[in-house]
Amino acid sequence: MDSDTRDFQPEPVSLSADPLSSQFASLNDLAHELASLQDLANRGSWHSIPYKVRRARSHYLLNTPHDHLIYLAYNVLGLAKLRRFKDVITELDSVDDFDCHHYRYETYLKINPNRSGSVVPFSLRWLHALIPIKSGNYQEGLDRFYTLLDFVPGKLKEKQDHDILIKMWRKREHLGNKEFGVCLDLSKDLVSRGNLDPVLLSKLGYIQMQIGDFGGGKVNRNKALVYLVGKDYVSAVREYEECIERDPMDVVAINNKALCLMYLRALSDSIKVLENSLERVPIVALNETLVVNLCSMYELAYVKHSDIKRTLSNWIARVAPDDFDSSSTRI
Amino acid sequence: MSTTQGTHSLAFRVMRLCRPSFHVEAPLRVDASDLIVGEDIFDDPIAASRLPPLIDAHVTKLTDTSDLTYRTRFLLQHPSDSFGLTGLLVLPQAFGAIYLGETFCSYISINNSSNFEVRDVTIKAEIQTERQRILLLDTSKSPVESIRAGGRYDFIVEHDVKELGAHTLVCTAVYNDGDGDRKYLPQFFKFIVANPLSVRTKVRVVKETTYLEACIENHTKTNLYMDQVEFEPAQHWSANIVKADEHKSEKDSLSREIFKPPVLIRSGGGIHNYLYQLRSSSNGSAQSNILGKLQITWRTNLGEPGRLQTQQILGTPVTHKEIELCVMEVPSVINLDKPFSVHLNLKNHTERELGPFEVWLSQNDSLDEKAVMINGLQTMELPQLKAFGANDFHLNLIATKLGVQKITGITVFDKSEKKTHVPLPDLEIFVDLD
Repeated sequence: MDSDTRDFQPEPVSLSADPLSSQFASLNDLAHELASLQDLANRGSWHSIPYKVRRARSHYLLNTPHDHLIYLAYNVLGLAKLRRFKDVITELDSVDDFDCHHYRYETYLKINPNRSGSVVPFSLRWLHALIPIKSGNYQEGLDRFYTLLDFVPGKLKEKQDHDILIKMWRKREHLGNKEFGVCLDLSKDLVSRGNLDPVLLSKLGYIQMQIGDFGGGKVNRNKALVYLVGKDYVSAVREYEECIERDPMDVVAINNKALCLMYLRALSDSIKVLENSLERVPIVALNETLVVNLCSMYELAYVKHSDIKRTLSNWIARVAPDDFDSSSTRI
Repeated sequence: MSTTQGTHSLAFRVMRLCRPSFHVEAPLRVDASDLIVGEDIFDDPIAASRLPPLIDAHVTKLTDTSDLTYRTRFLLQHPSDSFGLTGLLVLPQAFGAIYLGETFCSYISINNSSNFEVRDVTIKAEIQTERQRILLLDTSKSPVESIRAGGRYDFIVEHDVKELGAHTLVCTAVYNDGDGDRKYLPQFFKFIVANPLSVRTKVRVVKETTYLEACIENHTKTNLYMDQVEFEPAQHWSANIVKADEHKSEKDSLSREIFKPPVLIRSGGGIHNYLYQLRSSSNGSAQSNILGKLQITWRTNLGEPGRLQTQQILGTPVTHKEIELCVMEVPSVINLDKPFSVHLNLKNHTERELGPFEVWLSQNDSLDEKAVMINGLQTMELPQLKAFGANDFHLNLIATKLGVQKITGITVFDKSEKKTHVPLPDLEIFVDLD
């Protein structure tokens, strides 16, 4: 064969050799020791996160703007979870304007040759708006949310050709809107308000949640709510039991079933339901609202309720995540 | 029988059992992709295809009880999780305020915290108000045989609150304790009932229609959902509510079919107005003032109802005029000190002959000279009017002051019935220089 016409097939680049794809093989490729940060967050060890962040910063382990921002995001989230709002505000104040060029991929072409756009994790923007509300500066937070609500649809328009992008930003818009729904006192009240027709109530909720299809469990929970509002607690209990059979970890059904039992004068049974859930599925059952309900029931059932509440409180201290609000034991 | 001296084996525990409420709280939960990467990373097509599987591997739904993480406390499983409305219900955390028209409901538990069984327990629960004592529960006909050591006897009581002011829930138990002594245990739980609403009404009569405007003000600490506000007219009256026209765009929207905008009155001073059109169906001149009353039903959390009705609402007495005096024409130019003529008409609205009449300008109390006076004879004579008849006449007047002046006090006097009719309302004129 002629050397000039020799067949030449470029060898396919293997996945592991492809420098671009190796960026997404594991979490640690995205940011320094991200897997460990994520693990701490999953386990609810929020006390450990500010410590890890401080250490990474002081040892110069964070090399890219991406690293810094991700660590900042975890730190802000962690401090907020621990209700250390002064520290959160200090952290947030250390950030430049989110839209400055420091926080854009194209400023760092050496690291990300083909990438452009904002490096800021969206949760930072959201937390930046939410924190003032959580720490009592309602007006400032609301203003920031309005700005955020302007920002998101703009992004949606930009990305209209990319399905996945639309999915991302729609989710984010959602987040902003729903926060609003909760922030505006009137709509919050409206939702918890007794409309004659709780099906209407949940429909309103669901329309707002933009859910088109109801999971079986959710439909049953709606039915139970209808019975509950009509004071037919026996039927409500039956519906909730169906939910629990379908999903033994449905803590909403478990909690609400216990409440219905109480309205049926079966205080001992309601206590048993809640205690049993804490024993059986502690990870989902250990929830501040459920604990508040259980402790209210203890106060009613026992003259010397502080003993039993203390036992519960001690167990919670051993098992609960760092951000668990211990005031829920009403001690 | 010993009373409260010495310790009791039994004790009452009481918890107000109004309906539970939804727990609503903006959660600190994020979507994983919003936390671990920059927001625009998905613009990069490689990232867009490689990242989601990586993220999904770390955001699996909690299906396994051996998955010992609290990730659902910080990661969103579904966008709607950010709403903060999980559906979890919370028991009432405090006694709260009680309002007239609501139903007071309470869980009462009688606990035996001693080490001995108690026997023959007669339990009574009553509500004591300023005016009366209402029995809610009485087990004296069939006493509770025994409550073991550490045991309980529970009951739930309900009472429709119909009085304002101080109320006391009185719980009493009479029992045989471990030593065989007959003991008497009274316990008192006080609460105050306040007024949830105030209703202000205004009545206006326009021609033959009476309009009733009712303003409901909310004095409670929570928003009130107005379930039903209905006006019940008195005998001989009919009523219908007057509402503003809906905006055209609202009529067509899909959400309108699913979600009817509620009438929600804000807490602590919010108001809502209702307008009713009332028509009297009786033609007789003997009419009572009573228009009817408002029935109001509201709801608070999870449908907790309250009901009130107002007292009888009174309208303004409708007076049928027997004689009507109207101004037909006033000259457009009136000059100072120059006489001018006002054209008037007197109408008899009754079915009998009235009159003859005298017309004059009544004197006001001050000693000032009136700005406008009759020019000539101060009293004008008018003949009788037959049933439903009318008579035109002219009053010759003169103005003594410049500028905007009033013709006041034109009075009609019925000489035969010796009755003075209500004077004509003031008429404004402008007096110019010649």
